[in-house]
Amino acid sequence: MAIMEGFLHVLHPMHFPFLLLGVVLGITVGALPGLTASVGIILLLPFVFNLDVGTAMVMLCGAFCGGIYGGSISAILIATPGTPSSAATVLDGYPLAQKGEAGKAIGVATIASTIGGILSTFCLMFFAPKLAGIALQFGPVEYFGLTVFGLTIIASVAGKSLTKGLIAGILGMLIATVGIDPVEGYARYSFGIPNLMGGFSLLPVLIGVFAISQIFLQLEEVGKKEFKKFNQKVGKVLPSLKEIKNIFPIIISSSFLGTFIGIIPGTGGTIASFLAYNEAKRWSKNPDSFGKGNIKGIAAPEAANNGTTGGAMVPLLTLGIPGDVVTAVMLGCFMLVGLKPGPLLFKEHPEVVAAIFAGLLLANVLILLLGFVSVKVFPKVLMVPSALLFPVIFALCFLGSFSLNNSTYDMFIALVFGIIGYIMSKNGYPAAPLVIGVILGPIAEDALARALIISHGDWSTLVGSPIAVFFYVISAISVMYSLKRKLTHKE
Amino acid sequence: MSRIHANIIFGVCLMVLAVVMYAFTFQFPEHTLAFSPKKFPRFVSICLFLLSALLVWQGIGEQRKAAPPPGKSGAGVERAFLMRLGIAILISYAYTRFLPLTGYVAATPFFIAGIMILFKERNWVKIAATSVITTGALYILFRIIFKVPLPRFALF
Repeated sequence: MAIMEGFLHVLHPMHFPFLLLGVVLGITVGALPGLTASVGIILLLPFVFNLDVGTAMVMLCGAFCGGIYGGSISAILIATPGTPSSAATVLDGYPLAQKGEAGKAIGVATIASTIGGILSTFCLMFFAPKLAGIALQFGPVEYFGLTVFGLTIIASVAGKSLTKGLIAGILGMLIATVGIDPVEGYARYSFGIPNLMGGFSLLPVLIGVFAISQIFLQLEEVGKKEFKKFNQKVGKVLPSLKEIKNIFPIIISSSFLGTFIGIIPGTGGTIASFLAYNEAKRWSKNPDSFGKGNIKGIAAPEAANNGTTGGAMVPLLTLGIPGDVVTAVMLGCFMLVGLKPGPLLFKEHPEVVAAIFAGLLLANVLILLLGFVSVKVFPKVLMVPSALLFPVIFALCFLGSFSLNNSTYDMFIALVFGIIGYIMSKNGYPAAPLVIGVILGPIAEDALARALIISHGDWSTLVGSPIAVFFYVISAISVMYSLKRKLTHKE
Repeated sequence: MSRIHANIIFGVCLMVLAVVMYAFTFQFPEHTLAFSPKKFPRFVSICLFLLSALLVWQGIGEQRKAAPPPGKSGAGVERAFLMRLGIAILISYAYTRFLPLTGYVAATPFFIAGIMILFKERNWVKIAATSVITTGALYILFRIIFKVPLPRFALF
């Protein structure tokens, strides 16, 4: 019954346009190389403050799904993935486009993304309430263990260098200590500056680290290279019934693979899409045809990467732990609109959860409709020159930061973090761990403080709970596994 | 500056930052409960110091293994780009400073135009049109639709 209420909320004429806007913006931004799904979500943040919470989250979920799908458009047309999770789509998408079948390639990607997204949403609807029921029993000790696990995800999303990823995460935690401490209300690191007493608002930090830093990176590319102009004719979009029947099993299996990968924190669409592609090739009767325009080579990664959307929302909604980089940004969005993801979300805001479920389902249906109807429109986005696009985005970033507190101080913070994000990016420090550190650091400190106050300073309380110990153990395994994977990769 | 040198320099800078952040915690009050405002920042500063030291050590290790580069080391950043970046930061900073004085409507078109020029747009009609239309569109969106008060002219 709750899901029906969610559908009624989302389909209301006052709310539905926002879902549509979210999906359209997500696809548009996702299609543009240089801007990721995370940036698309961040650009929507200034608008969501003026919406009710349910509608705001639905709009952001629409942008999330649309952004992951949108990356396939540029991957197919210009061999440049719009988002990292579409990298595998290039392998067969671009060769098929070069054969004059760009439309079919986009059509296959659209169908696969839709089915992947819908199946993963059903999995979310099934698993999330059960996991939330278990998590309701968590106290401060368990929450501390959970945030330690969440923070070790940093090691997994750290990119090429584990050390730099951990440093970025620790820097994020250090940034979050600026301002009023959660226990005694003392203003730390404020140096007598009133603005610093409140710490750094999350929105300008997100805008700076993800969006403004990207603009600075694009400034470096000016005059160096233009994206390949696509010259393929985007013709017939709908694959034949026989082709759909042929790719259907691979779409289903890749969707479940993507959902499972998405549930594991620290993985994400990129890993899922490559895994799915490899599996599709391995089980194919004609593996040599992969890399030359095989439609299964498009269907598998696209079903998997959109399959991660629902999967990654499972740990996010139930435990407050991001499943990947984009859900790390979504976690920030939840906090900004005043929602605390976790088991209490299901208890205190069931209508928001229902709206999110309904929104994710409808967003994927919209992807199917928009993908076919606008197949000749979205590619034109790739022809917008950087000199037009990025200054507009820059202005939007600043205005968005300003609108949070009607303060130019937040604009300044966004600029500073844009510079920090740019320096980090140029030197191989990933941004996602910094954001995870900023968000989870205060939660870890709060849980730790409450646990120690309740136990009158007895630190052994932190290992007194079997659930907390479980989280510490899998945290250690997660770090060691990441370390082993990186060492093996180096060899 | 090579990647290895950058790692060593950044590592050292982060170690200094960690020490400074730790030092400032001595100004925080002592705990009256079982947990004080200084505990968590100290823990984080120590972690940052150790990880930065590891980064420096890794950088020194890589430097010993790597062959000396022939001539100028790679991974440098073009001087022209550094100038563009510097100007972009200056324009952005000026925008944040002057916005409350000149108002949104007066400042924003110049900001957008400045950034467009840095992106090597040279068609003045496009620059003017984009600046004005974007300023107007964002005004309608934020001021009229979302009712966010935007800065007004306040110089005199």
